[in-house]
Amino acid sequence: MPQDFTAPVLSNIDLGHRNFLLEFAAADVASATEPGQFFMIGIPHADILLRRPFSVCGVPGTFDESEAGRLQVLYKCVGAGTDLLATLKEGARLHVLGPLGRGFSMPDSPRSRPLLVAGGIGSAPFPALARSFLAAGIIPRMIYGARSAADLPLLDWFRKSCSDVLVTTDDGSHGTKGLVTAPLADLLAADGKDTIVYACGPEPMLRAVARLTIGAGVPCELSLEAHMACGFGVCLGCVVPTRTGPSGDTGYERVCVEGPVMRAERLAW
Amino acid sequence: MVKPDLSVALGPLRLKNPVIAASGTFGYGTEFLPFLDLSELGGLVVKGLSLEPRVGNPPPRIVETPAGMLNAIGLQNVGVDAFVREKLPALAGYDTVVLANVFGETEEEYALACARLDGAPGLGAIELNVSCPNTEAGGMIFGNDPIALGRVTRACRRSTRLPLLVKLSPNVTDIREGARAAEAEGADALSLVNTFVGMAVDVDRRRPVLANVAGGLSGPAIRPLAVWMTWQASRAVKIPVVGMGGILTARDALEFILAGASAVQVGTANFIQPDACIRVIRGLEDHLTSRGLSSIREIVGTLETGEGRRS
Repeated sequence: MPQDFTAPVLSNIDLGHRNFLLEFAAADVASATEPGQFFMIGIPHADILLRRPFSVCGVPGTFDESEAGRLQVLYKCVGAGTDLLATLKEGARLHVLGPLGRGFSMPDSPRSRPLLVAGGIGSAPFPALARSFLAAGIIPRMIYGARSAADLPLLDWFRKSCSDVLVTTDDGSHGTKGLVTAPLADLLAADGKDTIVYACGPEPMLRAVARLTIGAGVPCELSLEAHMACGFGVCLGCVVPTRTGPSGDTGYERVCVEGPVMRAERLAW
Repeated sequence: MVKPDLSVALGPLRLKNPVIAASGTFGYGTEFLPFLDLSELGGLVVKGLSLEPRVGNPPPRIVETPAGMLNAIGLQNVGVDAFVREKLPALAGYDTVVLANVFGETEEEYALACARLDGAPGLGAIELNVSCPNTEAGGMIFGNDPIALGRVTRACRRSTRLPLLVKLSPNVTDIREGARAAEAEGADALSLVNTFVGMAVDVDRRRPVLANVAGGLSGPAIRPLAVWMTWQASRAVKIPVVGMGGILTARDALEFILAGASAVQVGTANFIQPDACIRVIRGLEDHLTSRGLSSIREIVGTLETGEGRRS
């Protein structure tokens, strides 16, 4: 059940290159928050009207130093809302609504081998998810792509927590020059058995990942992002085209309620 | 201390307080159950309904703008029949007035939709949407033309015994013309305003931000425009007026009430603060108490204007 509460900022760490890790107190909901769910966060008395959606990055236990009753979100400054958020110091107040939406599903089979595919700030929901796998004794693999070396927040954390982190950058400033789809295609072709892909990043990347995984018959969950006003299903602003009918009829579903995590084959892109 | 009386009447419709959740911002009501007790609301207007279900416009559908937001949802809805069958029963246990917002492409569609809603258990009133700016089917052709608006009001009036509100478009030269036309054809009350047509441009991509190009502007940005139109409309007709446009707080609601609104609708605020309506109700109660007023009805339309000001 989501809650609407006022929360103090506990820390707002500048990770460099306009990426920030924000920690806030959420005593009543932190332990009930699932990887892939999100929060609507607003700043009281700001000149910004609507709250903004943020995937939960860390739940209690995700980061070594994280304590009970606290949550973390990872964000990049991309506009007026996030620019203002970046100015907040410890003790500042947030209007928080959540947890919201459907998160990632954990695989049914113990043989399943999760593969995280992140594009830049799209890595945001994966620390909490990776920690769930680690807690279940599964070490996830990862492909982490970005425009350049500057756009790979928490890369060191992922290197410690995942196996075989493959990095790609558009400009070749870190890892292999190119897109995440190249190593993903190789990996699915060579060693796709029992793989489950979890992807989050820009929409063109998600479309490409969906095509590849559907083609390879590999299950894939996508964490989607959309502009939304409310976060709980009433504004209908955040819809994506999906196959909703039994015969594959297309319609629209809400990222905030039916998502933000959806199976790749559900999207009618 | 006796609690002040917040109850109001909109023609035959009695509300326990003057705060109604606005159509398109309150889903089908049940989405708000985690955040508030629906029984505390004066009323709620569900998402606009058409005879047949509609999928709505392609995304992007919304964008924040200065002190407001543009939306072009395109009247996505489950249709009148599914509403009566699946959505309305879920509201049966709550002590509030449920209003169905209705739109169509033709007079006949409006009238048929009203007829199907007539007698639906638990439905308190119908609000005609003749003012959605985002679809060809949104009734804007009726909202822009007082004669067409009068005709569609008459057709619906004949199709239902439920109290009938007509929701006016602000995208007109003179709000009073539509107000008078709806009154003349049997509307029990008016609600105004719907959103103003607007547009935002993504300068980097050289494209409109919304896939629909234009959208409806709501939020505090439109409040002074809406208060002005409420003032004008309430002086042009004898039937009650429900004011709306960017109400976030009780003080905002009081602007409309003093300007002539018998009740108000809270819209965009529901997105920002899911219990916004409750906060407005509490604020109105506090306002009356602190001024020693026993009823909200005492202050409706009591705006004092100086001699010689334009009316």
